[in-house]
Amino acid sequence: MNTLNKKLIIAFFSVFILGVIGLFTIDQATQSRINNLSIITEIPSFQLEHFDGTLFTEKNLNNKITVASFMFTQCEGACPIMSTNMGLLQKRFSDSDKLQFISITTDPDYDSANILKDFSNKYSSKNNWFFLRGDIDDVVKLSEDGFFLSASLLPIGHSTRLILIDKDRNIRKYYEGTVDANIVELQNDIVTLIKRG
Amino acid sequence: MKKQLFFQSAVVSTILSYLLIFVGGLVRVSGSGMGCPDWPRCFGRWIPPTNIDQIPSYIDATSFNIVLAWIEYGNRFLGVLVGFSIIILNIIAIYYFRKELKLLISAILSLILVAANGGLGAIVVSSILNPFLVSLHMILALMLVSVLSYACIESYKLIHIEKFKDLDINRSLSNSLIVFWILVVVEILLGTGIRTNLELVSIENPLLSKGELLNALDSYKYFHSFLGFTLLFLSIYIHSQLRDNKLYIAKFLGIFILGMIIVQIFLGEMMIFFELPQLTRLFHTWGSSWLVGVIIILYNCISNEYVK
Repeated sequence: MNTLNKKLIIAFFSVFILGVIGLFTIDQATQSRINNLSIITEIPSFQLEHFDGTLFTEKNLNNKITVASFMFTQCEGACPIMSTNMGLLQKRFSDSDKLQFISITTDPDYDSANILKDFSNKYSSKNNWFFLRGDIDDVVKLSEDGFFLSASLLPIGHSTRLILIDKDRNIRKYYEGTVDANIVELQNDIVTLIKRG
Repeated sequence: MKKQLFFQSAVVSTILSYLLIFVGGLVRVSGSGMGCPDWPRCFGRWIPPTNIDQIPSYIDATSFNIVLAWIEYGNRFLGVLVGFSIIILNIIAIYYFRKELKLLISAILSLILVAANGGLGAIVVSSILNPFLVSLHMILALMLVSVLSYACIESYKLIHIEKFKDLDINRSLSNSLIVFWILVVVEILLGTGIRTNLELVSIENPLLSKGELLNALDSYKYFHSFLGFTLLFLSIYIHSQLRDNKLYIAKFLGIFILGMIIVQIFLGEMMIFFELPQLTRLFHTWGSSWLVGVIIILYNCISNEYVK
C-alpha cells in the first residue's frame, strides 16, 4: 500500500511538472512570435499615386497594418502568385479595418492607371488594396533605400518578397511571396500584430 | 527473467509514447508545427540552429523562430527515442518470444505504427499542417499506445500468472468495457473532428474570437458533450462492478477511469468557459490518450484465458 501511495505521489508530481513545462513552453512560443516581429526600420517619406488619381504617401501607412509588394501587370512568373496570395489574405481579413495592402508597379511606363485598375479588378475584392505608380526613379529609391530590396533590371528584377509594415510605418518582417508556408506565417504574424500591436 | 525484460521494455516504450503524445500536443497547441520547415532535419541541420547565421543559404530564413524550431524538434527527437525503444522491444520479442504470438505481434505492430507515424510526420510538415493530417498523426499515436499497453499487460500476466488464476468471471463487465472503449474512441474522433474544423475555420477566418469559432462549428459539438456524460455513467457502472474485485490493479484502474472521465468533462467545460485554453486543450487530449490505453489494460486484466 505504501509503495502505491509513493507511486501515486510521483505520478501526480510528474503531471504537475509536465503542466508547468507545458505552460512555460506555450508562453515562450507566444513571446517568441512577438519577438520575431522586431522593428527593422522605418519607411522613409515617398509619394506615389493610386490608380484613381489620389496621392499615396508614407502618411497613408499610419494607423494601418500594411502588406506591401512590388509587381508589374505584364509579369508572368511570380507576380500572379504573389497577387493571388495577397488577394487571399485580403479576403481572410476582410472583416478588419486595421489592415491594408499596397502593390507598387515597377513598370510605370506600361502600367497606366487604367491597366492597374483592370489588374486590381482581377485580384482585389475590397477597396483596401492600393495599386501605386510613380516615377521609376522614385520607385527604385523606395525599394532599395526604403525597403532594402534590390531593384535592378526592372521591371522583371523586382523583389518577390511581401513586406509587413506596422501601424507606425515600421517594417517588421519579409516573406517570400510565392511560398505557401511563408504566406501562412504572414497570416499568423498579421493576427499577432492586430491583437498585440 | 526474459519475461521481465520484455515487460520492462514494453513499459518504457509505453511511457515514452505517452510523453511523445504530450509533446506532440504541445507542438499543436503552441503552433510550433512549422518550426522546422524541412524534414527530418531542421533548417538543414541535425541539431536545430540557435542562430540565424547557421541557416544554410538554400533555405529561406524568413520563418526561423528558435523557440518554435526547438519545440518541433523536441517532438521529433522524442519520436526517434520511442522508435529506438520499440526496436529494442522487437529484438527481445524476436529473440525470446517467437512462440508467444501475443507479445511478438504486438511488438511488430508497434514498430510498424511508430515508423508509419514518423513518415506521416514528414507529410504533415510538407502539407503545411493540414488539420486532417495533424489529427491522423494523433490517431496513429493513439493506436500505438493501445498496442503497447496490450504488450505491457500481456507480458505482466505471463510474469504473474498466479494473480489472474482464480478470478471470478464477469461477462457483462467485460462486454461493457468493450463498448466503453469503442465509445471513448468515437468520443476522441468527435473531439478531433471539432478541433480539425476549428482549425479549418480559423485558417479562413483568422480573426474570429473563441465564441464565434464555437458558433461556427457543426452540431456534433453537442454530441461530444452528450457522449461525454454518457461515458460518465458507464464509468460509474464499471467502477461499481470493480469495487470489490480481488485483483488490486483492476480495482485501481476502475477508480482511475472514473476519475479521468470526471477530469475530462471538467477540462472540456473549462475550454468553453475559461481562459488558458491551450494548456487545457493539451491535457484534455492527453487524458483521452490515457483512457484508451488504460481500458485495454483493464479489459485484459479481467477477461483472460486464465479465468475459470
